[in-house]
Amino acid sequence: MERIIVSFVAELRNCGIRVSPSESLDAVQALGLAGMERRRLSRQLLRLTLVKNVNDIPVFNEVFNRFFSRFPSLDPKAEIPDLMDAALIDMEGEFSYLNQVQDDHDDNGPLLKFDSDINPEDLTELKSLTEIDPDDSDGTEITVQMKGYRGTSKAPRPSRRMPQNPLTIELNKAGAVDRGITFSPEEQAAMQEVVSRMMLRLRKDMKRMKNNQNRGKLHVIKTIQKNYRHDMVPFQVALRRKRREKPRLVVLCDVSFSVSHASRFMLLLLHTLHNQLLDVRSFIFNREVAEITDMLANMPVNDLMQVIDTGDIVDLDANSSFGKVFLSFKKKYLENLRGRPAFIILGDARNNYDEANDWVLDEIREKARYMLWLTPEERETWKRGDCLIETYGAYCDKVEVVKTVDDLSLFVEDLLRDIYADHAHPLDRKRLREAKEEEVYDSKDYYTRGRTGDCQPSFDPSGRSGW
Amino acid sequence: MITEQKVKDFLQTGGYIADDAIATAVFLALRMEKPILIEGPPGVGKTGLAKALSAALDFPLVRLQCYEGIDEGKALYDWEYGKQLLYTQLLRTQLDNYLSVSADLREAVDRLSAEESLFFSKNFLVQRPILRSFLSEKRSLLLIDEIDRSDDEFEALLLECLSDFQVSIPELGVIEAKRKPLTILTSNGTRMISDALRRRCLFLYIGYPELEREVAIVRVKFPDLCEDLTRKMVEFLRKVRELNLRKPPSVSETLDWAQVLSILKATRLTPEVVANTVGTIAKHQSDLQKVTELAIQELG
Repeated sequence: MERIIVSFVAELRNCGIRVSPSESLDAVQALGLAGMERRRLSRQLLRLTLVKNVNDIPVFNEVFNRFFSRFPSLDPKAEIPDLMDAALIDMEGEFSYLNQVQDDHDDNGPLLKFDSDINPEDLTELKSLTEIDPDDSDGTEITVQMKGYRGTSKAPRPSRRMPQNPLTIELNKAGAVDRGITFSPEEQAAMQEVVSRMMLRLRKDMKRMKNNQNRGKLHVIKTIQKNYRHDMVPFQVALRRKRREKPRLVVLCDVSFSVSHASRFMLLLLHTLHNQLLDVRSFIFNREVAEITDMLANMPVNDLMQVIDTGDIVDLDANSSFGKVFLSFKKKYLENLRGRPAFIILGDARNNYDEANDWVLDEIREKARYMLWLTPEERETWKRGDCLIETYGAYCDKVEVVKTVDDLSLFVEDLLRDIYADHAHPLDRKRLREAKEEEVYDSKDYYTRGRTGDCQPSFDPSGRSGW
Repeated sequence: MITEQKVKDFLQTGGYIADDAIATAVFLALRMEKPILIEGPPGVGKTGLAKALSAALDFPLVRLQCYEGIDEGKALYDWEYGKQLLYTQLLRTQLDNYLSVSADLREAVDRLSAEESLFFSKNFLVQRPILRSFLSEKRSLLLIDEIDRSDDEFEALLLECLSDFQVSIPELGVIEAKRKPLTILTSNGTRMISDALRRRCLFLYIGYPELEREVAIVRVKFPDLCEDLTRKMVEFLRKVRELNLRKPPSVSETLDWAQVLSILKATRLTPEVVANTVGTIAKHQSDLQKVTELAIQELG
């Protein structure tokens, strides 16, 4: 049994679920307690002990079904209904009762229910039936289901259509099937690294600040407790801790084709950052605006990208209109923005000659601590065509050109530093400012900042510049 | 010998309808003495499970509500400084007498240090929830509620308690649990719980219940509501959940609504009834409208 569990765990790890040795020990112990006679129970036991994240449950189900169909001798007493159950769950997803809407895309469920002379081998073959269309059975169950709902009559997404899309080129080169924009594990790992490096730098600064963090009112009880060994002479003073506020961010991301790569990496960055130290509310827009904060927190990033790519959240076929978006943002969300968030807008400000509605930005400004505009476009092109960045930029604290992931992370880091500094003690603020000025006025550093050697992508020839 | 079926049965007698996954998790937690980490949307009965278990197993419930800024002084133990101080003041004469027999300073120090443990003994220890559940004579149920509201530091503090069921107090040494409590942590997922903590727990996700289970839950709590109405109500709520509301109604809302309907003595589910009681299901203004529209469309 141990051997089986070990190889099962190895398989899970292959599929990207992190399982620690102690968890596999737990699994062995649990199976020892409850036995392995019933497949359903064993599956639950394994899931309870090995999977520690909601998002991993579909992957686990997939692996479980795949893995244990390979050993039919393992559970000779397994009952056909149970196996069918498992197979159905495999095809329709664990939470299929939530999606009771009949989808006409994948209607071979009843076929299984009526056939009584089915053995496990047949079932595995049947399962492979669903994989006939490699385009549609790709990804986790959720995405497969979502594809079922997607209208087939719709035109393909620009990102699919355009061959010059660097990401798809990369994917096609690797022989992978077309799946819109997703991030490879390497890219995700790289982003993790960028973020963790950023965190390290930030943490160093925070430590410097920490000594003064407690500066607040006298904490009487703690002071007495601390000093009663000195016979109540208050040698050591304890001060009340000031509430450390999480920096709040509100991000509006343009997802129209013209800036899709920039915004996608922004979303990936936010996704990676999300639970580390930030309180982020994220919105995406094209012609309408929609909040995706919950999805960003709860969905694997690739699934989210696919959902965005299908145009279910905001219609991607329409022309982007910043004026309209600002107006509807004001109507729907401006009232319930908590605190004074830093407001980041990522977009090229190409309004397709719609009404500018720039007065809305003025109102947003009143609510926001900072207002920043990021654009992936070069400064020279700002005045050409329908670009309104000069109009909108007047309301912003800063308009920045970000072209690479490193630019983006540097920018976010600077912003976080600024926010932290706002809450810090004046002394710290001064110290931070000095440190920052040193950094900025280092003449050697000035031209190379954010352009270290490894930031130039090695696969540039394919047309993929920093993004 | 307990089995997961038995767990299910005794939970049912306690008024909690569990599904297989929940029963298995509880069974494992009891046998392996590991904490369970429960995640899921608000109001699906995460805390309810802990309460039902404590009632069904007759384990005293020790509850620790987490919040931002909770620390060991609030969760594990604290010293009763006032009492310590008072005692040293009151015992001053005794101490003088006790020490006056010693010949020199060295001996006095030795004598005093021999009694040191008196002042850092369990007499002066205030037991906070976790320590209290560890030291309870009877096996208890420790509920650490909404762990996602606490800070990272507190999570780190829990690691020792949850993996080894012990508390290290510098002055006293390591205190081990007399009976390992059945531990339940709940989280609403507003913050990622660290992997270190997840690793130490069994992970249970409770989602919205399936139709039959939800009907059964309502039937248990409000047996006087007629079965047909209950079923209609639950079916309607399941449709509401698919509406993409800001706050979808969960089991607690179902129960609230059932209570309202039984107070109003409603016999049928009509758009008017829904419109009058919609406040119990939807908790945002924009949601109210969507639900009433659905009611007209579905029930009208």
